[in-house]
Amino acid sequence: MPLGLASPRPRSAPSPSLRPRLAAVGEQSALSVNMEEDAFLEEKAFQHYCAEFLKHSQQIGDGWEWKASKDSSDGYLCKTHFQAKATARSLPGASTEEGETWFPMERGWPGLWDHRLTFHCSCPPRGSEEALEVPSDDSEVPMTAAATEVVRYEYHVLYSCSHQVPVLYFRASFADGRPLALQDIWDGVHECYQARLRQGPWDTITQQEHPVLGQPFFVLHPCKTTEFMTPVLKNSQKINRNVNYIAAWLSVVGPVVGLTLPLSYAKVPSQDE
Amino acid sequence: MRPFSRHTGAAVMGDPRLPTLQFAPFSSALDVGFWHELTQKKLSEYRLDEAPKDVKGYYYNGDSAGLPARLTLEFSAFDMSAPTPVHCCPAVGTLHNTNTLEAFKTADKKLLLEQAADEIWESIKSGAALENPVLLNKFLLLTFADLKKYHFYYWFCYPALCLPESIPLIQEPVALDQRFSPKQIHALEQAYDGLCQTEGVSALPYFLIKYEDDVVLVSLLKHYSDFFQGQRTKITVGVYDPCNLAQYPGWPLRNFLVLAAHRWSSSFQSIEVICFRDRTMQGVRDIAHSIIFEVRLPEVTFSPDCPKAVGWEKNQKGGMGPRMVNLSECMDPKRLAESSVDLNLKLMCWRLVPTLDLDKVVSAKCLLLGAGTLGCNVARTLMGWGVRHITFMDNAKISYSNPVRQPLYEFEDCLGGGKPKALAAADRLQRIFPGVNARGFNTSIPMPGHPVNFSSITLEQARRDVGQLEQLIESHDVIFLLMDTRESRWLPTVIAASKRKLVINAALGFDTFVVMRHGLKKPKQQGAGDVYPSHPVASADLGSSLFANIPGYKLGCYFCNDVVAPGDSTRDRTLDQQCTVSRPGLAMIAGALAVELMVSVLQHPEGGYAVASSSEDRMNEPPTSLGLVPHQIRGFLSRFDNVLPVSLAFDKCTACSSKVLDQYEQEGFNFLAKVFNSSHSFLEDLTGLTLLHQETQAAEIWDMSDEETI
Repeated sequence: MPLGLASPRPRSAPSPSLRPRLAAVGEQSALSVNMEEDAFLEEKAFQHYCAEFLKHSQQIGDGWEWKASKDSSDGYLCKTHFQAKATARSLPGASTEEGETWFPMERGWPGLWDHRLTFHCSCPPRGSEEALEVPSDDSEVPMTAAATEVVRYEYHVLYSCSHQVPVLYFRASFADGRPLALQDIWDGVHECYQARLRQGPWDTITQQEHPVLGQPFFVLHPCKTTEFMTPVLKNSQKINRNVNYIAAWLSVVGPVVGLTLPLSYAKVPSQDE
Repeated sequence: MRPFSRHTGAAVMGDPRLPTLQFAPFSSALDVGFWHELTQKKLSEYRLDEAPKDVKGYYYNGDSAGLPARLTLEFSAFDMSAPTPVHCCPAVGTLHNTNTLEAFKTADKKLLLEQAADEIWESIKSGAALENPVLLNKFLLLTFADLKKYHFYYWFCYPALCLPESIPLIQEPVALDQRFSPKQIHALEQAYDGLCQTEGVSALPYFLIKYEDDVVLVSLLKHYSDFFQGQRTKITVGVYDPCNLAQYPGWPLRNFLVLAAHRWSSSFQSIEVICFRDRTMQGVRDIAHSIIFEVRLPEVTFSPDCPKAVGWEKNQKGGMGPRMVNLSECMDPKRLAESSVDLNLKLMCWRLVPTLDLDKVVSAKCLLLGAGTLGCNVARTLMGWGVRHITFMDNAKISYSNPVRQPLYEFEDCLGGGKPKALAAADRLQRIFPGVNARGFNTSIPMPGHPVNFSSITLEQARRDVGQLEQLIESHDVIFLLMDTRESRWLPTVIAASKRKLVINAALGFDTFVVMRHGLKKPKQQGAGDVYPSHPVASADLGSSLFANIPGYKLGCYFCNDVVAPGDSTRDRTLDQQCTVSRPGLAMIAGALAVELMVSVLQHPEGGYAVASSSEDRMNEPPTSLGLVPHQIRGFLSRFDNVLPVSLAFDKCTACSSKVLDQYEQEGFNFLAKVFNSSHSFLEDLTGLTLLHQETQAAEIWDMSDEETI
């Protein structure tokens, strides 16, 4: 019997690198967002909310991790998510049970040879494919693994000192590392979010080097974050309910790039109540 | 489709009716970070070293349905001490990075596989694999990194030892919940978690299982004999299974069964396998979709030699060959600069000016005549707008006074007599942004009153220079006049007017400037009769001003306001009168305005034919998403003030009047040569200015001060 929400997986524990630092942070008193002003987020509060966010993530096992930066004291929240890109046909008899619906996808079977692959896969030039004599292997499942149709989504949440808000870095790539263009990522977004793509915070996407990894990522520019977070937080204060800034913010910006948060994040009471 | 093939190999076995077990291979998954890290290692650490390197990957048994069984390598693959992601199993591998594509192709894959297989075999024989089961999941990675093109060739191998016969299935795979009760499933989950906790890990690749009623016990491989104690008809094992297919186990089981056959097969008759799949969705954990089946391991007498091995990964075409990935898009700094510049510009579209047609700007081919203070600043602003095609024409060399005011040059450029400005400027643009297509022409522009007829050589040179200018104007969309003298603007004004090209003109005084677009003559095929009216035809009902609603084709050029033809303006003047001495900020202001004027013109649906906006339009609805499209911007730095005058084309203009254009179009260079070689009076006579002078006594009425009041 699958375990419900009430009984969290016992094997989860906060990553060791995060624990001592965040424990110290948790004792801070003035963590709540200053509601008189705009909803800026201090770095300590950021880390506190991240720790709370992680705690819940580890309970429900949705894969968020804290990565400490090697040469500085800060770090970032990250999640990697794989998604089979929809293929044109499905194989008779293949399992078509619905997976996690991060965003709805066509049912399909990834082992299938898809004509679209001719676009995606970059096969080596003629000549480099020298025949390899392989002994016959009857024990291998005969399938052409169309691994290029698996898309890897990476979401990183970092803190921006200059804007005093969290920043979402993201990128997507095929299984061999080829990146998806922004348009490709957006083409994969469910149509119910398409309208949001051209407005709201999503009109502020840039490309930047990841401050820790030094690799190019898409970035949701933080210049509008405070603008749309202030009413959210003010309202939650009005109804006397503590919300986790990170959870509230991610639930706004995430879906448009294929990142959804389970509703349970919103039900977790914040500890600084 | 039948999940189990009844291939010919089955004939070897005792019962040919039994289907045989097949394994789903790993599918390689490489994070782009892995390639970044490999590039760094290759450049700064490995260099030409081809020695094998230890790398580390991982696999996961909690993927959603539909995903292939991945072996993932990330940027952390090179750090053997890096932690394996939570709930994932590590796989250790060997990287063979070759220096050449040739070495990649000719690498002895059979030998590499045999060596890796042998290591696995040794770990089975010695029992090391019982202590450390990770040794069963080795992989090989053969790579060649073409770091000029950012092409990466690679070939994975997951060595699997082969039993001499196929493995007959006694019980075909079914989901665990068809064989186990919910209580047993829960107990298995608890037992597995308990063992993980005891071992201080978050995942176990292989484990032994005993179950009876609601009690499930699990243990490590190394405790086999204690755990199972003596002969049994059947043992049960668990394997952490990355495969998602309902009928097949994944690759990791394969070497484990060889281990079981080699070390334990004498103690049992059949082996039951639980492929442990452990998924959590929306906070709900599920292992019920794990699969369970029973096999009989073939009775084999192993020789001490390593059994045959397989494992090279098929490529995307399903063939036995390597793969190649082109990552120039995300690794080539030049490509990155381009996409970043484009995204930044789009940001402006998305955020502020949704109707902005960036393509019109980015695709405009710009010819910059003059690569001095104005030229440098115009070029930089064009780059800021993402303009990709920029050509300079200038005949000067960079002098010591230039770099402080001309931002494309440096001190070094002045040495040895100075580099030609046009070439140095183009070169610098390329260095600022490799995505730009910049060219430079070290060419003079012949000017009225500057004779070219000293010899046949100078005449031919002038002919060539004119020819080149004509050709360049023809091949560009926007012509910027950014020279430091009036008369050098005459020839390009004539040519561009004749070719109907948009001209943006910027000129500096000491603390004043003018930035303007030349009137764009109507296309030639239309009747030219009404194009150059001698009097403005603005009807009084259109507005209070005489100069309201002037369409682009009626607008004047730089010379239309003059009642003298251009001549040698540098003669008989002191240095500070030679136009070039201006307040240092002026060129930046004027250069920037020149580009912004071009952009606004291009955004107007009628382009160069757009009705001119004047200062009075400042309160009106703007004609473009970016605002007004003025004819001229005249700035007065002393007052920090700009005005937007509008002036009409002048039918006696020495540059754009039909008399001049007709002559040019009919006689070409011969006409131009006459202008270069003659005094003012030639053009003035031609256009009727001489007559006008005689008729008019007060030429001052054309002065700029009048227009300020417009």
